[in-house]
Amino acid sequence: MALLELKDLNVAFEIPDGEVHAVTKLSFSIDAGDALAIVGESGSGKTQTMMAVMNLLAENGSASGKALFKGEDLMQMNAADLNKRRGKEIAMIFQDPMTSLNPYLRIEQQMIEVVMHHQGLTRAEARAHAIEMLRAVRIPDPERRIRQYPHEYSGGMRQRVMVAMGLLCEPDLLIADEPTTALDVTVQAQISQLMTELRAKSNTAIILITHDLGVVAGLCDRVLVMYAGEAVECGTVEQIFYQPKHPYTKGLLKSVPRLDQPDDSGLEAIPGNPPNLLLLPEGCRFRERCPSAHDACRDTPPMQLDGQGHAWRCFLGPTDE
Amino acid sequence: MTQDSGMLKHTLRRLLGLLPTLLMLITVTFFMMRMAPGGPFDSEKLLPAEIEANLNAKYHLDEPLLRQYFRYMGQIAVLDFGPSFQYKDWSVNELIAQSYPVSLTVGGLAMLLAFVLGTTLGIAAALRQNTRVDYSLMGIAMLGISVPNFVIAPILILLLAVYAGWLPAGGWDWGIASMVLPVVTLALPVTAYIARLTRGSMIEVLHSNFIRTARAKGLPESVVIRRHALKPAILPVISFMGPATAGLISGSVVIERIFSLPGLGSYFVTGALNRDYTLVMGVVIFYGVLIILLNFLVDLIYAWLNPKIRYDEKY
Amino acid sequence: MKPTRQFFVLAVCVPLLSACGSDDGERLPGSLDRHARAVELVVAEDGRPVPWVLAVEQVLHRDNGEEPVTLDPHLAEGTPSAHILRDLFEGLTSESPTGRVIPGAAIRWNISRDGKTYTFYLRREARWSNGDPVTAEDFVYGLRRSASPSTASNFAQVLLPIANAAEVLAGKVPTDQLGVTAINDHILQIQLKGPTPYFLRLLNHSSTYPVHRPSLVKYGSAFSRPGNLVSNGAYILKDWVLRSRIELVKNENYWDAENVIIKQVFYYPFEDQSAASKQFRAGELHWTYGVPNNQFKWLQRHYPDELVISPWAGSYFFGYNVTREPFIENQDLRLALALALDRDLLTEKVTQFGEQPSYALVPPGIGEFVSPQPEWADWTQAERNDEARRLYAEAGYSEDKPLRFEIRYDTGQNNNKKMALAAASLWKQVLGVQATLVNEEGKVFLRNREQMVLTQVFRSGWTSDYADPFGFLELFRTGHGRNYYGYSNALYDSLLDEIASERIPARRRRLMFEAERILLGGLPFIPVYTYVTKRLVSPRLKGWESNIMDHHYSKNMFLLKSVHEGEASAAAVERDEERPAEPEESVTEEVLPTATEEGQANEAPGEHAAATAAPAAEDGQASEDPGEAANSEEVPKSEPEDDGATAPAEAVPAEVEALPAEIVESPQVQSEAPGETGEVPEENDAAGGDSGSGEGFRE
Ligand SMILES: Nc1ncnc2c1ncn2[C@@H]1O[C@H](COP(=O)(O)OP(=O)(O)O)[C@@H](O)[C@H]1O
Ligand code: SF4
Ligand SMILES: [Mg+2]
Repeated sequence: MALLELKDLNVAFEIPDGEVHAVTKLSFSIDAGDALAIVGESGSGKTQTMMAVMNLLAENGSASGKALFKGEDLMQMNAADLNKRRGKEIAMIFQDPMTSLNPYLRIEQQMIEVVMHHQGLTRAEARAHAIEMLRAVRIPDPERRIRQYPHEYSGGMRQRVMVAMGLLCEPDLLIADEPTTALDVTVQAQISQLMTELRAKSNTAIILITHDLGVVAGLCDRVLVMYAGEAVECGTVEQIFYQPKHPYTKGLLKSVPRLDQPDDSGLEAIPGNPPNLLLLPEGCRFRERCPSAHDACRDTPPMQLDGQGHAWRCFLGPTDE
Repeated sequence: MTQDSGMLKHTLRRLLGLLPTLLMLITVTFFMMRMAPGGPFDSEKLLPAEIEANLNAKYHLDEPLLRQYFRYMGQIAVLDFGPSFQYKDWSVNELIAQSYPVSLTVGGLAMLLAFVLGTTLGIAAALRQNTRVDYSLMGIAMLGISVPNFVIAPILILLLAVYAGWLPAGGWDWGIASMVLPVVTLALPVTAYIARLTRGSMIEVLHSNFIRTARAKGLPESVVIRRHALKPAILPVISFMGPATAGLISGSVVIERIFSLPGLGSYFVTGALNRDYTLVMGVVIFYGVLIILLNFLVDLIYAWLNPKIRYDEKY
Repeated sequence: MKPTRQFFVLAVCVPLLSACGSDDGERLPGSLDRHARAVELVVAEDGRPVPWVLAVEQVLHRDNGEEPVTLDPHLAEGTPSAHILRDLFEGLTSESPTGRVIPGAAIRWNISRDGKTYTFYLRREARWSNGDPVTAEDFVYGLRRSASPSTASNFAQVLLPIANAAEVLAGKVPTDQLGVTAINDHILQIQLKGPTPYFLRLLNHSSTYPVHRPSLVKYGSAFSRPGNLVSNGAYILKDWVLRSRIELVKNENYWDAENVIIKQVFYYPFEDQSAASKQFRAGELHWTYGVPNNQFKWLQRHYPDELVISPWAGSYFFGYNVTREPFIENQDLRLALALALDRDLLTEKVTQFGEQPSYALVPPGIGEFVSPQPEWADWTQAERNDEARRLYAEAGYSEDKPLRFEIRYDTGQNNNKKMALAAASLWKQVLGVQATLVNEEGKVFLRNREQMVLTQVFRSGWTSDYADPFGFLELFRTGHGRNYYGYSNALYDSLLDEIASERIPARRRRLMFEAERILLGGLPFIPVYTYVTKRLVSPRLKGWESNIMDHHYSKNMFLLKSVHEGEASAAAVERDEERPAEPEESVTEEVLPTATEEGQANEAPGEHAAATAAPAAEDGQASEDPGEAANSEEVPKSEPEDDGATAPAEAVPAEVEALPAEIVESPQVQSEAPGETGEVPEENDAAGGDSGSGEGFRE
């Protein structure tokens, strides 16, 4: 049984102009201990997918479909049952480390409340555990630092605190939403290094959301590519990086800066913009920007499977260029 | 850098910074009062020249203005506000000493009531955002803000004092019964304003990322609100309390009149109308110091609640 | 009280407040029965109420307007101080409930033939509140202190008739030069500068009160504080909680203490008259200082027994600055504006409390004096308007070239603003005048009015400190400190000089009549109406009478039992429930401007009916005034009177009807008037002749 399995997840937001279809019929699954990357341009629905899973959608948002966690549907769960899992079995690290910590509370309070609540530890035990965790994410002088407020931490340190906080209860699933965006390059490397280590130590499954394919390679086993709220391609890291099937994935890969290229000159962003989620076009959603678009693409492309766990949503066959 | 020495330095520095403000206030008020046409002894009735001369001599009004100013500054340096021109049996010190407890009690209780009730209602509305509860609470609050004291007060008096015969229609005897109506009336608009303010800031806070983090931790919603949302939601209310005091003081002028309370408020009005220079000066200085100190206190509380500016010496 | 009903109201309105308790014990001290109905008054043969009709608790709660500025009698100014001081102190003379001069600390007095020397014989039994005898020396000390420059009294002008008073005030001579001498412990002599026919009236003014020297020496300026103040009146100052209440208790050492029924008096300051009237309605007051403007109809409907309206010695008028264009040397134009003011409309719509339209300066009811009336006083308003238009056109104004000027006023407790608005709209409507309203803050207004530089037409008025027309006429004397009008008439001034020294009442009245006639010819002002006092008084409170000076001594009053004292009364509850909702204070606010703009000519007859009903109650009171007022000029009775030239050299002692029993008159005993007027028949004749000659003097 998969640890988490999404079935036909839809996420929509009511706005005055209509309905924003942020996620459409998304299905995927992740097994215990696995690491899955979800990639895609900004706005492709990565974050909202996980928000729907965590039941943290904004008030104007609604989700349908199934999110089976250890076989139980998170979407149908009441608040109390959900709270037994959130923070304990599923932890989430948010995109923006600068605003995701409460500026009015000491780091200590924000960390210990998780374990005190979920594991019934005393304050002292919780504190010791939190310090240990901070040390694990390489916060220097954690005994002193834990008494401080978020604004006394740098951005990278805050993200490490977030990671530490996420791992406090040794969750089965850690969702990390662009944990390295907004951080400088060396810190980015540290954070991904950290996650790799932690994964090696505990058997935590990781869903890493990023629009940066560079980070994916070192950390993950499988990759899900999203475009305009849909999964467009899914496969192992090798399959996605070396045999991408979907023109969008190919485009993404071209835009990744490579260490073997001296500067940014070769970087090709995919021309054009993603479709308006209020008025989604018929047929392939990538058609407008696709270099390989042809008449058939006016119909909705099918999800093609190659039988080795590689799937893509396109009319092009496995060997088409 | 210990936290305490930082706070102390901050406090002292700010206190010293207040002195020039106070001095300005006193000087401007002094000369403005003297510039206003008419004097304390002008009245409908005839005042023979000899009598006016006697009066002016008695109160040193026959001296050059600058000399009067320095005489006055010398006096208040030793906290002597001089004799009242109008209430001849009393010194301004006595007048203020007898009436400020009333004003402070009414104002303080009103403030407390407004704060407790206003934040409670505001939070209740925020948590039920866009429900019927929210709409009706905010509707009432809007009414509370827009209907002035002098309209609410007579209605309350009629209902509770004249018809029910249950609370006194006015007057002050330090009994709870005599405080209820003035305090409630004075507190109502502020309560309403605070309720709206709290609702707005609570909703904003509930949308912030750190609340999402707290929820993601699996904390029950009540804990999320109490521990994570309350303090930031109330901060704008705290900083509103400073200006609110000034508002309450002007409100108390009306309230004290309607409920016939022996507070400071009406000295403002009668003193100014009668050109009772010393009384007006005394009340202005008293209120000036009070407002400055309260704003200062509010800043301190704000800083204490808000770790980000806690050691920040800019303030 | 009415427990059932109270609980009902509480349960419905404010259950959450019930924790605070509503016991009477928590209300103001000595809370009263709300809206209690009084038992019927029964008087004994001596005119005093029989004991069994009196309430057990003789505690009086009086609304006293503003906070008194001081209780030092020599520094006092303003009505609030004066009311309390009348209870605390007793001058040489006092007043009956109706305002007659009666013996006070002096039991009798002599006035010399030239009218300049007054000899007062003090009551031997009179005591200060600490038991010390009240002596002539106390009065000498008091008068000297009052006149002393170092006291800096701003009401010392009351003393100016006394010899050397002006010099003492100016610091030119020491205070012992003041014309006051203690002949012995009980005889006091006062020398006047000139004969001052109203001098006895001045002697119940607080600036002539005696003070207790030892306590002044001991406490200095704090002598008038509770605990320190030693007074010689019917009451002692017990407590003064600033701007909350002043508590007086009966002075057991007062010479007439056995006839003082009210044991305790609370004076409350109220800055807001509607607050006071609410407290009255809540049963917390027996007596209000005034009533809110604009509530006449409502109060009259719902509190007919409580609402008391009576004439007051004051006039409201508009002044002209006759030293400025357009009114300089332009009597016809001044008259045109005076004619065009529909006073009936103004009193009915603006003042609303039965104020009487006025066509002269001196208000009616001051002594025997009757003001001359201009010819047009008898015209219809339509006739007046026609004449006004004619004069206006003659003065060279027309629709194309309208008269323009400013009306200046201050906004106080009065209806000044509404009055100015109404006048402006009437003038516009009748004549096409373009008047601009200028509202000024109180003291600014006073300054501008005094300086006569900016003013053209302005709000004015006068109330007298003593009941004598001279105080009014004096205002228009050349160079008088309150002559804001710039009026100057040599004949008028010389008449005033004559009046000042004329001692024969009838002759003096004729002179005053003539002076006012000249003034009305010159018309430096526009008469509008004469004042009334208006207040709410508990029907249980008796022993007082309306009087033109509005002086009311607590010592004369007493409280009747309420019909249900001690037990719940079904009648009272019923009555209570009839109490209707408060009228909107602003309802009548805007009535007038609209009414005048749209033309008041077609006024609904119903409105008139309602308004004429208003003064009906007051008429009853007013009618007894002339009779009472006959006694207000006490002076002539103790003097040579009309035949003064042939009078014996020795002055007649003024031992008038100084019987204590009469001082506290019961209101039920009203039939005293005829006998008293009969004592001065020749004066009535004189007055009749005067008013005859006043007809149609304008040409
Ligand atoms: N509360 C909201 N109301 C309306 N639209 C929303 C809301 N939250 C997110 N969206 C939209 O949903 C789409 C998907 O957002 P998201 O999942 O955050 O993208 P990303 O893949 O960059 O994480 C975006 O177009 C975004 O504008
Ligand atoms: S279906 Fe067509 S348009 Fe869409 S990605 Fe494939 S080739 Fe491009
Ligand atoms: Mg995102």
